[in-house]
Amino acid sequence: MKTRIFEKFTVVFAWLAGLVLLAGVCLLLGYLFFKGHASLNLSLIFGDTPPLRALLLKQRVFEGLFPAVAGTFVLVVLSIAWAIPFGIATGIYLAEYAGPRVKRALDALFDVLSGMPSIVIGLFGFSFAVFLHKHYSDRIGPCLLISSIALSFLVLPYIIRTTQAALEGVPLNIRLTALALGATRLQNIFLVLIPRSVSGIMSGIILAIGRCAEDTAVIMLTGAVASAGLPRSLFSQYEALPFFIYYISSQYADSEELMQGYGASIVLLFLCALLFVTAYGIRKGLSHFVFYRP
Amino acid sequence: MTEAIKIKVADLSFSYRDRPILKNVNVDFAENSITALTGPSGVGKSTFLMTLNRLWENLPDADMTGTVEIRLQGRFRNVYAPSMSVTELRKMVAMVFQAPNPLPMSIRKNIAFPLKLAGEGNREFMAHKVEHALRMANLWDEVKDRLNDDARTLSGGQQQRLCIARALVLEPEVLLLDEPTSSLDQTSIAVIEELLLGLKDRLTILLVSHYLEQVSRISDTIVRFDDNTIIS
Amino acid sequence: MKKYGELVAERSFLLSALASSSITVAILAFMVFMGLPLMKQAGFYQLLVKPWAPYQGTFGIYPMIVGTGCISLLSLVVAFPLSLGCSFLIATIAPKPVSKGLRRLIELMTGIPTVIYGFVGIFLLVPYIRELFRSGSGLCVLTAALVLGIMITPTMTLFFCDSFDRIPRSYLTAAEALGASRTQKLLYVILPCAKMGMLNGVILALGRAVGDTLVALMLAGNSVRVPGSVLEPARTLTAHIALVIAADYESPEFRSIFACGIVLYLFTMMVTFLVRYLSFAEGRRD
Repeated sequence: MKTRIFEKFTVVFAWLAGLVLLAGVCLLLGYLFFKGHASLNLSLIFGDTPPLRALLLKQRVFEGLFPAVAGTFVLVVLSIAWAIPFGIATGIYLAEYAGPRVKRALDALFDVLSGMPSIVIGLFGFSFAVFLHKHYSDRIGPCLLISSIALSFLVLPYIIRTTQAALEGVPLNIRLTALALGATRLQNIFLVLIPRSVSGIMSGIILAIGRCAEDTAVIMLTGAVASAGLPRSLFSQYEALPFFIYYISSQYADSEELMQGYGASIVLLFLCALLFVTAYGIRKGLSHFVFYRP
Repeated sequence: MTEAIKIKVADLSFSYRDRPILKNVNVDFAENSITALTGPSGVGKSTFLMTLNRLWENLPDADMTGTVEIRLQGRFRNVYAPSMSVTELRKMVAMVFQAPNPLPMSIRKNIAFPLKLAGEGNREFMAHKVEHALRMANLWDEVKDRLNDDARTLSGGQQQRLCIARALVLEPEVLLLDEPTSSLDQTSIAVIEELLLGLKDRLTILLVSHYLEQVSRISDTIVRFDDNTIIS
Repeated sequence: MKKYGELVAERSFLLSALASSSITVAILAFMVFMGLPLMKQAGFYQLLVKPWAPYQGTFGIYPMIVGTGCISLLSLVVAFPLSLGCSFLIATIAPKPVSKGLRRLIELMTGIPTVIYGFVGIFLLVPYIRELFRSGSGLCVLTAALVLGIMITPTMTLFFCDSFDRIPRSYLTAAEALGASRTQKLLYVILPCAKMGMLNGVILALGRAVGDTLVALMLAGNSVRVPGSVLEPARTLTAHIALVIAADYESPEFRSIFACGIVLYLFTMMVTFLVRYLSFAEGRRD
C-alpha cells in the first residue's frame, strides 16, 4: 500500500510542478504585455522623428529605441561575421580531420569555453581593449569592434558544435559515395557533406544570432552605453537593446521612460521568439528541401 | 477430445499508418494447449500477439477493429472493454519477446519486479515466489547461488529463461511467446521447448515460430498466417 | 595544383581550430596577467577569505563568494523539483498532446533573455517580497534565487528529458508487457537508469546559475557584507565584476575583479571536467 501512495504522490507532484512553471511563465509574459502594450507604437522606436527620415539616416532619433535597435543589429551582424568562418572551419576540422586525441583535447577546451560565464568573456574583451589602449593606440577603448569580437567568442562554441554534429551525422554510405567516385577529401566536404549539413549549421547560426541579440553582460563591459546615437564607426561606443533595458530598470526618471523599458522588453522578446521559431522552422523545412530536391 | 476455448478472436483487423497488417482474422484457441502461429515474415504474427495483450496501444498511428475475448478467472472478458484495466490484463496475459530483455537489475529483482508492480511488500512471500518461478522455468539450479548478480551477466539462453520466469511469477493464464528461441543455440532451444511442454497443463500457450521442426515438435495446433490473415 | 589547394584548405581549418581553442587559454592568461599586482600584494588565498573593505585596505572577495554560493544553491533548490516534476510530465505522466505542448513551451522558454527576467523581477517580485516579509527592500538573496531558479528550470528539464529518452527501448517494453502503469515505469525503470544523466544536468545547471550576471545584479541588492539570511542583500562574483568595472584602472579595487574572474573561470573548468568525467564513466559502465 505504501508504494501505491508514493506513486499517486508522484503524479500529483508532477502536475503541480507543471502548473507552477506555467504560472511563472504566464506571470512573466502577462505582466510585461499588460504593463507595456500601451507603449507599442512607432513612436516607441522612432520618437518624434518621422520613421522614413530616421531609416534613411537623415535625421537623428531622440527619445526612441531606434539607435538601440540599430546598435543591436549591427552588433549581431558583426559578431556573426567573425564567428561563422572560424566556427565552421573549426567544426570541419573536428569532424573530418582531427585524430582522436586532438579531438578530445579540443573538445575539452570548447566545452570549457561554452560553459564560461558571459561576464568573464566580457572581462576578457575589456582587458584586451585596455591592453590595446596602453600598448597600441590611445584611441582604442571599449567599442563596437571589441564587443563584436567578444560576442563572437561567446557564440563560437555553438557554431562549432552544431557544425561538427551535423557533419558527423551524415550517414556512412553517403560519406563514401563521392570518395569512391574519385573525389578528393575537400571536394567531398564542399560538394556532398556540407550541403547535407546545411540545416544543422543554419540552426546553429540562428541560435548564435539569438544569443548575441540577448546578451547584456558581455556588451556592458565592452562598449555599450546608455546614449550614443547610431553606431558611427567600429571604434565608437554604441547603444544596444538589452543594455537599454538594464539601464532603464535602475535609472528611469519618470513613468514615460519606464514605459519605454517595457516596450523595449517586448520588442526584444519578440525578436528572440522570432529567431527561435525561425531556427526551428529551418531545421524542419530546410532538411525537407534538401532531401526532396528533384 | 475437445478442450475448452480460452481465447476467441472475431473480425480482427489491424492497420499501422494506414497500411493494413491484419485483415478479418477469426480464430479460437483451446485451453491448456500449445498453438503455433506460423507463416512468412512480415505477415502480422507478432502484431497479432500484441492485440491479445494490448501492447500495441503504445504505438501512435495504429488502429484496430474487431473483438478479442479471453476467458480469465472463469469468465469470458472482452479485452478491450473500458472496464478492463490494461495493467491487470497484462498480469494475466504474459508475453516473452524474441530478444531477451532483462531489466538492468539483479536476477532476483528482475523476477520480483511484477510482484513489486502489484504492490507486494512481504519479503518472504516474494522470495518464495521468485524461487517457484525460477523452478518452473528450469533455471533455479543454475542461478540459486547468484541471485544478486546482474541479470545481464547470464548467457542468452539463461536470459530468455529468466524472462519466461519473470513472465510466470504472477501465474498468468495465457503465455504469449514471439519467436522466443530464434536468437539462441541448439541446447538452449531444447531446454526451452521442454520447459514449454511442461507448462502446458497450467497455461494456454501461443507461440510464434519460424522453425517448422520446432512447431511440429511441441505444438498441438498450428495456425498459419498468410496474406495478413489465417488460412488454416 | 589541386593538391596544393587541398593542403592550404586543410592548414586553414587547423589554424582556425587552434585559434579558437587558444581563446580558452588566453582568457585565463589575461586575467592572471591583469590581476597579478593585487594578488602579489595581498596573496591569492588571502583574497579568497578576506571581506571587502576598501577603506581598510582589504580587497577580499569572500563576501562575493558566499553571495554566489547562496544564490546559486538556493536557485537549485527551486529549480530541481520543478524540473523533475515537469520532466515526469513530459516523459510519461501527461497525455501525448499535453506532453508535446509542454516540451515546446519549455524549449521556447530557453530563449527568453536574462535581462527580461531581471526586469520583470524588479517590478513584479521585489515589491511583493518586500510586502510579504516586511523587512528590507525586497532586493535580497531570496528574490534573486527565485527568479534564477525559474530561469534555469527549462534547461534542466530538457536535460532530464534527454536522459530519459536515451534509455533502451527494451527495458520499457519489458516493463509494459509486465503490466507496469505509466508512473510505475517512470519510478522503477526510467529513473534508476537515468540517474547519472540527471546528475550531469544538475551540475550543468549549477554552472549556469553561478555564471549568471544580470539576475543577481538587478535583484540581489549588491551589498558587500556577507548575507546573514536569505532576506538580506548580497553580491555575487559576477555582479561585482559588472559594478567595479567603472573604477580607476590602476586601483586595487579594479584588480579585484580579475580575482573574481579567475575564481569563476576555475569553477567553470571544474564543472566542465566533472561533467565530462561523469559522462565518460557512465558510457564505460554500459
